[in-house]
Amino acid sequence: MTQRTLECSGLRKVFDDLVAVDDVGFHIDAGETYGLLGPNGAGKTTSISMISGLLMRDGGTVTVGGREMTTTSTDAKALLGLVPQDIAVYPDLTARENLTFFGRLYDMDGKTLKARADEVLEIIGLSDRADDRTEDFSGGMKRRLNIGIGLLHKPALLILDEPTVGVDPQSRNAILESVEHLSREGMAVLYTTHYMEEAERLCDRVGIIDHGQIKAEGTRRELVQMVGQHDRVRLETTGSVDAAVAALDALDGVAKSDGGDGSIELLVIEAGEHLTEILSVVTESGVAVSGVDIDEPNLESVFLHLTGRALRD
Amino acid sequence: MKSFTIAAVNLKRFVRDRSNVFFVFIFPMLLILVLGSAFGGDFQARLGVIAESEDPLAQDLVTRLQAIETVAVVEADSAEGALRSVERGELEAAVIIPADYDEAIGSGRTVSVEFLARSAQEASSLRSNVESAITQQAVVLRAARFAESEGLATFDAALSTATATEGFIGDVSVDVVAVGEAFALDELGQFDSSAQTQLLLFVFLTSLAGSSALIQTRRLGVARRMIATPTQVRNVLVGEGLGRFAVALVQGLFIMIGTWLIFGVDWGDPILATVILLLFSLVGSGAAMLMGAVFSNDEQAGGMGVLLGLGLAALGGCMMPLQVFELIAPGLYTVAHITPHAWGLEAFDSIVLSNGTFTDIAVFLLILVGYAVVFYALAIWRLRVVLTR
Amino acid sequence: MMRTTWIIARKDLRQRIRDRSALIVGILAPLGLAAIFSFVFNPISEFEFSADYVVVDEDGGPAARLFVDQVLGGLAASDDITVEELDTVDAARALVDVELDPFSDMETADAAFVIPAGFSSAVASPDEARLEVLASRGSSTAAGVAVAIAEQFAGEIQTARVAAATAEVLGAEGDRADTGFRALAIPSLASVVDAEATSKILDGTTFYAAGLAIFFLFFTVQFGVNGLLEERHAGTLPRLLAAPIPQAAIIGGKAITAFVLGVVSMVVLVAASTLMFGAEWGNPIGVFLLILAGIFSAIGIMGIVGAFAKTAEQAGLFSSIIAVVLGFLGGTFFPIGQAGGILSQLRFITPHAWFMQGLGDLAGGNVADVLPAVVALVVFGLVCGAASFYGVRKGLSR
Repeated sequence: MTQRTLECSGLRKVFDDLVAVDDVGFHIDAGETYGLLGPNGAGKTTSISMISGLLMRDGGTVTVGGREMTTTSTDAKALLGLVPQDIAVYPDLTARENLTFFGRLYDMDGKTLKARADEVLEIIGLSDRADDRTEDFSGGMKRRLNIGIGLLHKPALLILDEPTVGVDPQSRNAILESVEHLSREGMAVLYTTHYMEEAERLCDRVGIIDHGQIKAEGTRRELVQMVGQHDRVRLETTGSVDAAVAALDALDGVAKSDGGDGSIELLVIEAGEHLTEILSVVTESGVAVSGVDIDEPNLESVFLHLTGRALRD
Repeated sequence: MKSFTIAAVNLKRFVRDRSNVFFVFIFPMLLILVLGSAFGGDFQARLGVIAESEDPLAQDLVTRLQAIETVAVVEADSAEGALRSVERGELEAAVIIPADYDEAIGSGRTVSVEFLARSAQEASSLRSNVESAITQQAVVLRAARFAESEGLATFDAALSTATATEGFIGDVSVDVVAVGEAFALDELGQFDSSAQTQLLLFVFLTSLAGSSALIQTRRLGVARRMIATPTQVRNVLVGEGLGRFAVALVQGLFIMIGTWLIFGVDWGDPILATVILLLFSLVGSGAAMLMGAVFSNDEQAGGMGVLLGLGLAALGGCMMPLQVFELIAPGLYTVAHITPHAWGLEAFDSIVLSNGTFTDIAVFLLILVGYAVVFYALAIWRLRVVLTR
Repeated sequence: MMRTTWIIARKDLRQRIRDRSALIVGILAPLGLAAIFSFVFNPISEFEFSADYVVVDEDGGPAARLFVDQVLGGLAASDDITVEELDTVDAARALVDVELDPFSDMETADAAFVIPAGFSSAVASPDEARLEVLASRGSSTAAGVAVAIAEQFAGEIQTARVAAATAEVLGAEGDRADTGFRALAIPSLASVVDAEATSKILDGTTFYAAGLAIFFLFFTVQFGVNGLLEERHAGTLPRLLAAPIPQAAIIGGKAITAFVLGVVSMVVLVAASTLMFGAEWGNPIGVFLLILAGIFSAIGIMGIVGAFAKTAEQAGLFSSIIAVVLGFLGGTFFPIGQAGGILSQLRFITPHAWFMQGLGDLAGGNVADVLPAVVALVVFGLVCGAASFYGVRKGLSR
């Protein structure tokens, strides 16, 4: 059996009377990006803190690269890069000094460290501000440095806790792109967010967390199917649509079709797979299609379905 | 190794904060200078003397008072000024030699010399000095007055005879032999006692103020981030502590070398003095780490730091010497030894006053090590709790 | 304007109460230190003069007995001096020549008078005569008094001798010693008359309570006067400036916050130190006037720092330096005024010195005696307050 980069199960944390995390478990393999999606206060940060050995667990196990993670296990922590939600850098040190300092804590040294710091500065786009104190940085620049520190030692597992909160669209895009890049390079990424779009774009698999519990887990498609939702396809048409609607109803995969004035609306399982077939059936019925609009059910609706509330509560 | 990395950053940040220069280096030296010149050295009771007359006998009395070794005579301009000075404690007492001093004595009247003191008892020794000086001055005059009263001659004739006669009569002298053990502090130089107590006071106070470094590291989220790296809580704490330790040590050495060069303070054996400083700095940094782990607000820690830094120093004999406690309030002397300051001072006293060797101060050093170990252990425990629970 | 000022002050005060720093700096630290200081220093300042002397009369002659019985006997009548007569010098030396050990119950003496054999006969002749005092190095004051007593006696004896010899030269008859004793009836030409001065020194407990209170006051008012920098830091300053309120109301709000914090902390400190460790601040009206004037000066001086500093950190740094230097120079930790020298004059450039002086004068006088100090403090407050108001106005439009 190949080694999982992260394996955790049965995580539990109780603060006084509040059960913050209850029986959370999942795994991430190399090159895989796992999203932990949930509203604020769902238990994402608490889970991450336990996984990265910042917080004592009240139950459960965590292994990173097969090594058990506790608050004191340095061998497991060496494999892990953490990007905390709140910016954690020294304001009175420069960007490079911040990087060098944390690099040393990861046992990096000398030329390797210097070269790697330069590399990271390049990746996060701060090369030209490397020797400025970070207190003078803009919010986005601080965020990027915050992430850069987590990348420095090329961790096997990178944990990003809501890295895009309060970031301008441009920086945000840069952050997402670099995460995609790292994932392609084989890094396992654990990404928490309450932005559905980010989870959809980045994550191979998503765990939906609410009230400290994982409500559902899988690829986006699996999740969507789990709740039995269909893609909504809307065809802009000219001409009479009745014949076409009848023909479509007979098609495999089409759950429902509805003709309107100049348009047809369909509910389809796996719209992508059936689109060619649908289009040919419609064209054969003598209807010209001037536009196609596919509305796939998203995680937002999955979340709504699972918890009965919207994601941004 | 990681602790050193953390210590290095701690120090780098310390150096960038310019405010530190004043409180760590300039202020302690200023204070030693001020306290040393104001309160250091041999204490001499200050006696204000107001001679309202330039006549020879009045001036002679002033000279006699000035000749008393244990009294510092301050010539004052007016009786009102002297009274105010006495009332406000700027003088221990004052004597007013009246304008008609010579005239009254010459004409056979008894003249009053006013002696001003806040309480007669407090100034009794000065009063004895004044009386004694007057008696000494009056020897010939009284002899002449006696001869006149016996009807043997006129006052003037008697006075010249008495003056001549006195030359043939030997003195009645008082030989003073000092015996017994001196009050230790009397043997210290002007700046010595203030330099050693200030050293400990400041090293500890500055260290406690340094607890803010740990608090900031925690508030910035950097402390948690460090824990997420392969770094143990104890490494983080020891690293931050080492930074403060280095600051304390540099400050201490600066004070030691500075006062030695500028004021010629005797620090005893330099190696032993450095060892004491080293261990005391360790204690100070440990206390700072404990505060930094307990408090999560800079300003609160700052207030508590001043309270503890000055309070423990006062209790530990940094403001009033332990020897004074020992003589006057033995109970307090025992209580003082709750503080690390008292043990540091004991060690300094041993090497400075009685040429103590390493073996003489080993116990004190060991106790300081104990303080450091306890402070650091508690701090590590507390930091682990606040960071990971 | 008054309303907005008060609204701002109330908001600031609420913030200050929530953040316990003002409580620690304004009350806990000064009170705690005052408690420790009076605990440590009171036994020492309450230490009263006492002296234990021994005397050895190896002579036994009339002059020696005069000293032992009359002079020393008279001394022993006072409460704080004891005199014991011993037989041998060795016995006396054993009591004086000792190591300092406060925990020992062993009887010791501060000084020993030794009258050598032949003293009386030497006195009766023109020869030199001498007394000896064994003075303990460990108790310099009591030993100093012993030396003064012996010298006083020596002076009297010398007077008797010179008088008797003069009389003889001038043709008097009779026993020389008798003549000498009669000569001692001639009073000293100058008599020392005690004129007691009222003490205007605060007792130890009050000194520390007052000194620490005024010292920390300068830190406490910062929580008010640095409020503008905090608003700037928190980003709320533009909001206030954009509001339809005069700038003076914003500045006034900060000053009122400082004032209220100052009054509360000082009043609590006066009350607590009086109740808890018996500090004697003096006439309440005088104390209150001094407190008000003191707070006024503190706001003025700290206001300048707050007005001209660019960041909260900078303000914090300069405020601490100024408050600490003024505090020490002003004699809040050590009675610098009693030390004499240039420092005791220089201290009057600090409001702290005026405050302490005012309290001292109040202790030994009446309410009117605080007026010079109150005026000085108000002048400090007015001059510095005006400067800081100007500075803040300038800073707000920056």
